[in-house]
Amino acid sequence: MATGNMKDIKRRIKSVGSTRQITKAMELVASSKLRKAKQRSESGRAYFETMYGLLSEIAAVKKDFSTIFTEAREVKHKLFIVIAGDRGLAGGFNSNILKAAAAAHAGDAEKPKIIAIGRKAVDYFDKHGYEVVAKYPYFAEKMKTAYCMDIAQLAVDLFAVGEVDEVQLFYTAFVSPLVQTPESAKLLPIANIGTGTGEDLGLITYDPSPEAVFDRVVPKFLMSMISCAVVESFASEQGARRTAMESATDNADEMIANLSLVYNRARQEKITNEITEIVSGANALG
Amino acid sequence: MTPFKLQIITPDGVFFDGMTDNVIVRTTVGDKGILAHHEPYVAAITISKFKVRIDGEFRYGAISSGIIKVGKDKTVILAQSCEWADEIDVDRAVKAREVAESRITEYSKANDQKNLDIAEFKLKRALNRIEAAKMK
Repeated sequence: MATGNMKDIKRRIKSVGSTRQITKAMELVASSKLRKAKQRSESGRAYFETMYGLLSEIAAVKKDFSTIFTEAREVKHKLFIVIAGDRGLAGGFNSNILKAAAAAHAGDAEKPKIIAIGRKAVDYFDKHGYEVVAKYPYFAEKMKTAYCMDIAQLAVDLFAVGEVDEVQLFYTAFVSPLVQTPESAKLLPIANIGTGTGEDLGLITYDPSPEAVFDRVVPKFLMSMISCAVVESFASEQGARRTAMESATDNADEMIANLSLVYNRARQEKITNEITEIVSGANALG
Repeated sequence: MTPFKLQIITPDGVFFDGMTDNVIVRTTVGDKGILAHHEPYVAAITISKFKVRIDGEFRYGAISSGIIKVGKDKTVILAQSCEWADEIDVDRAVKAREVAESRITEYSKANDQKNLDIAEFKLKRALNRIEAAKMK
């Protein structure tokens, strides 16, 4: 066995080792970001739930209740709000959600308008010739809920003037640190608003009117829904990256173990060879 | 006076959760004071100052658009953002006002109505915070 081969193996062990360092570091970063993202999603939940309760209460008050946001129209143009990640190396996270969005309009005559959140979503929809009405790359990590107001307002405006007849949200639900599933939710028109909490519904005074309050609540409701989805997608991205990097680190460990074995075998073989040579040399002399 | 439960919730979490006996907020139709045993009531709140009486003393704050919902057992204010007067960062508010003012001149020259609206909204918020900070 030649020394050249041993040098190659040594070099490979070193390079796999440094890759492993990177994947390990990414794994640790992802898990600490995941922890933060989980806290963030907890703190936003109270707002979202109260908002949802309020909306459904108002909707339950009046049976003949109708505003522009509840009326279903014939769907000609759609608006998709798609939340993907800013970076790759997160397993199937980005491609799963983008595929889900693409599949959702597969049978339609016309491509939907897009609001893209996350650099990967921006890149994808730009490249595939969609009409991207708004782009929010590098948005999720430093997001404050108030920033989502812009997005919600844009969606509401487009819907109100009739440029789109339906708004759908695509995000990745965080089921557990190991499982994340792409989900979609219809934002507008608002359908299936429940029957409220049963708190003396008929007696609430709405100032100036239920419709006026409802119309003011809708953008805020969308805002909190989008922000929840962004936070959840971000947590999912970190979860997916953590899992991907964990298995990459494991693979690197395995490779290093195998290569070390090969290296040691080669080294031993070389020593045996040398001994044999010396012994046969000594024999020849003797 | 009879106390009742008040919650102020913002997207960043629960801002206030405690007992009060008087809350005064500015709704889209005017100032509204809430005492205990108020009838169930819902209204939208504009960018404004508000006050809450806690232990006999009014505490002032700034709120940027929200909803107030008076229920039987508690009153909830859902606010996009909310700050107590004594916790407002005045320097930041003054800076925000300056930025908003310069944007307004810029956008009104360019006739950009949409951005003008946004800038005006931001100016209103900054002014509201500056005023509220004086009320501590």
